[in-house]
Amino acid sequence: MQRFFLFLFAVKSLTLHAQQKTDSTFSKDMDEVVVTATKSPRLLGNVAIPVSVINAKTLYQSGSLRLNEILSEQTGIVVTDNFGKGIQVQGLSSDYTLILLNGEPLIGRTGGVLDLSRLSVRGVKKIEIIKGPSSSLYGSEAMGGVVNIITYDAANYKSDLNVRYGRFNTMDGSFDYARKFKHIQVNASFNVNSSEGYSLKPNANQKTVEPFWRSFQNANLSGQFNKHMKYGIGLRYNNTYIKNSINVQNGGVNVLSQGFEKSNEFNINPYVEYELNKSFKNVTRAYFTGFQAVQELAVKDIASGYNDRFQQSYIKFENQSNIQLSNYSEITFGIGVIKESVSSNRYDSLSTRRFNQILYTYAQWEKKLTPTLVLVGGARYDYNSAYASVLSPKIAFKYKLSHNIDFNLSYGRGFKAPDFRQLYLNFTNLAAGAYSVFGTEVAKVEMKRLIAGGLLDQATAMYDKLNVLKPETSGGLNLGMNVNFKKDLSLHINLFRNDLSNMIVTDIIGYKKNAGQIFSYFNLKRGLTEGLEAGFSKKMNGVFTVNGGYQFLYSADKDVLDAITRGQVYQRDLHTGIASVMHLKDYGGLPYRSMYTANVKLLYSSKNGVFATLRNIYRGKWGSVDMDGNGLINRSDEFAKGYLQTNASVGYKKDKWELMAGMDNIFNYKDPANLPGNPGRLSYINLQLHF
Amino acid sequence: MRNSTATSILFLSVILFAACSKNETPVILNTLTSNTVNSLPADTIIGLVNGQPVGAGKFTFFSLANNKIIANSDSNSVNWDIAFRGTTIITNGGNSGPGAGGGFVYTGTFDALTAVPADSTIKVDNVPTSYAITTGSNKGWYVYDFVNNLITPIPGRVLVIKTASGKYAKVEILNYYKGGITPAATATDAIKTSFQRYYTFRYSYQGNGTKVF
Repeated sequence: MQRFFLFLFAVKSLTLHAQQKTDSTFSKDMDEVVVTATKSPRLLGNVAIPVSVINAKTLYQSGSLRLNEILSEQTGIVVTDNFGKGIQVQGLSSDYTLILLNGEPLIGRTGGVLDLSRLSVRGVKKIEIIKGPSSSLYGSEAMGGVVNIITYDAANYKSDLNVRYGRFNTMDGSFDYARKFKHIQVNASFNVNSSEGYSLKPNANQKTVEPFWRSFQNANLSGQFNKHMKYGIGLRYNNTYIKNSINVQNGGVNVLSQGFEKSNEFNINPYVEYELNKSFKNVTRAYFTGFQAVQELAVKDIASGYNDRFQQSYIKFENQSNIQLSNYSEITFGIGVIKESVSSNRYDSLSTRRFNQILYTYAQWEKKLTPTLVLVGGARYDYNSAYASVLSPKIAFKYKLSHNIDFNLSYGRGFKAPDFRQLYLNFTNLAAGAYSVFGTEVAKVEMKRLIAGGLLDQATAMYDKLNVLKPETSGGLNLGMNVNFKKDLSLHINLFRNDLSNMIVTDIIGYKKNAGQIFSYFNLKRGLTEGLEAGFSKKMNGVFTVNGGYQFLYSADKDVLDAITRGQVYQRDLHTGIASVMHLKDYGGLPYRSMYTANVKLLYSSKNGVFATLRNIYRGKWGSVDMDGNGLINRSDEFAKGYLQTNASVGYKKDKWELMAGMDNIFNYKDPANLPGNPGRLSYINLQLHF
Repeated sequence: MRNSTATSILFLSVILFAACSKNETPVILNTLTSNTVNSLPADTIIGLVNGQPVGAGKFTFFSLANNKIIANSDSNSVNWDIAFRGTTIITNGGNSGPGAGGGFVYTGTFDALTAVPADSTIKVDNVPTSYAITTGSNKGWYVYDFVNNLITPIPGRVLVIKTASGKYAKVEILNYYKGGITPAATATDAIKTSFQRYYTFRYSYQGNGTKVF
């Protein structure tokens, strides 16, 4: 009898893996080992929730430099460009997507967005993407999905040198080094990346993307104390410098101001792994990370200029045990503590640090109920010092109908803790309308200060509703089917629905005498996203692969749906200016969501070292701005146009050398207003040397 | 007057109370005037002071009863019903003028507002503490998008106006920019500034003193 669960204590010990392979008709991808879905190594074909994997070969052949580039080519993922490059997963914005580096969360978000262009994909072995809520294992932010960037460790890496040159003087250089000693393995990567930026508006003195320099250093060390005990440590340091020459509105006058933005972050994660026998394994991990961002601008007429500083640190200790009760039953149990702190002159003085401490525990039980039905159930409890505690359960089933057809069904809860900005922000924008935004923990004090200073015109009814923020929560349902017709054709389809509640939005709590609006944060909004994702992959002649994907997405603010149903929402005609009652069919859903996205990729890879790719990515129209005053997306002029981007690359490998040339956005599509991060056609050439 | 009276339709409708007996049928003449006013300037931008765009600071006075602009020199009279200065709208009553005017902002569509609701309160100006037509973004008739620097009349807002002579009118503001077209969100601030403060609105004026439109 074939064992359904494969407990691979090291990813490379594939004895059982091979056994699975022999009597499985799953395509090769289904035999990939993934770790993110259950926090333990599992065969992709055995995971009961939607998971996809981007491997190193795809990363290289797509010519991707930064994480956002490769993610933008994945089905069901849309890269957005607001406070940096973020991603939407199942229609949930990047605030609700957890980004992991080797299983540990990355910090340093601006406006809720973790800028993915900060992250180089050099030295990345693979990227695993989980869709749907995974807070039952990962806690906060794992609502829409989890992206786990897994870097090479020394054991499976080689030394190489990689250089690249592209349009806008974009340069990228990497050196990777790996060495194995008797009991210790080490590897290290160095990367520099720079560009002179570009301007989408002719004759503008402000560039659309400013010149930047980035670098990172990464080192891993792993070894073995004895046959039961392994250890390792990962170190990473990331650095970004952006030159700023931007227009600042000062008292209604545009002033060209010079300055810079820089950020750096470090990640340190040591671990010790203890494996008693096949039934018991224990991993103890520590994780230290810090993020620092500085922006300085010399603004004419303002002596102090503009100066923004943000520092965040995150320390975590976690212990996870895996206990195999029988061939058909395994328990995973974890316990951990997190201490986070932030200081910023956006909040208060830099010397005031704000803290949050989280104690958490999680458990997961995987049980093979019948030879064809597997159950995975689990839950995590997060006890927070700064806000309400959360319980996040998840249950998933996998049913194998036959050798080549299986079904997945899962339901999970996700949450996102209120971030420090929502709690402590104290920001006044003198340039645009003199508005202020106060975090909920400081809003009352700041309002009293305005009253005392005679600066407040009036408080709104929302001011009285200011309350302690609760975490935003979601429930996600996924129902999927995988079909593998033959070895060379696979199809998948997944239906999803996410219900979000307690979503945090800003609302006006008052008006200043100078007409400036005052905002704070409230747990007000309820949202939903639902849709269908489908994909296929077909191999031909052993050298060609065609794969593609499609997502249909419906998104809505539930309170807006209710108000429309009650006939209380209005819209204005673009031509006549006449207002009318809005109907459900007119509602364009949540902003920045495309109802239709799709991609088709053609890949050629010969045995003699030649490859070519042609990747077409389509993003349908999306709501971009309200123009008729109702705050909603409904009218034709409120949508950004859909577009097709075609990227291509060719490469040749001989002995130790690999040469590649590529062109992104071949048809030179541009939309400066809605896609400022898209510079148009971009060609590059890349040379790699292995040694 | 170039900017107004694009359409002027006079409705003379006769409401017949159907008789079910030999009694004499009462006949009410219902005099409703409907007009659209295009690009009425309302203290348009004349320059920058400390970098901020400013107008001359004067209201544009308008008679709904007679569908015409009233000269500034005639502002201390009952000849005007409503006046515009930037986003501020005053009515001829309270401390704004010698008339019996006032009003309020009604939520709903212009066409669906067939009568001033019986339970509504006509407010009067008590400038600068309060206005019959509430001022401020998202509080009265408009919303200011500070990201794109655009002012948009909120759809589903109708200004119910009591005129200087105590008659009723309903007003729907259609646009705040010259030519009745809101500049694109991506337009320059110079365009957004020079084209703003031009009201395009439609209204119905009930001349017979009833609250029915």
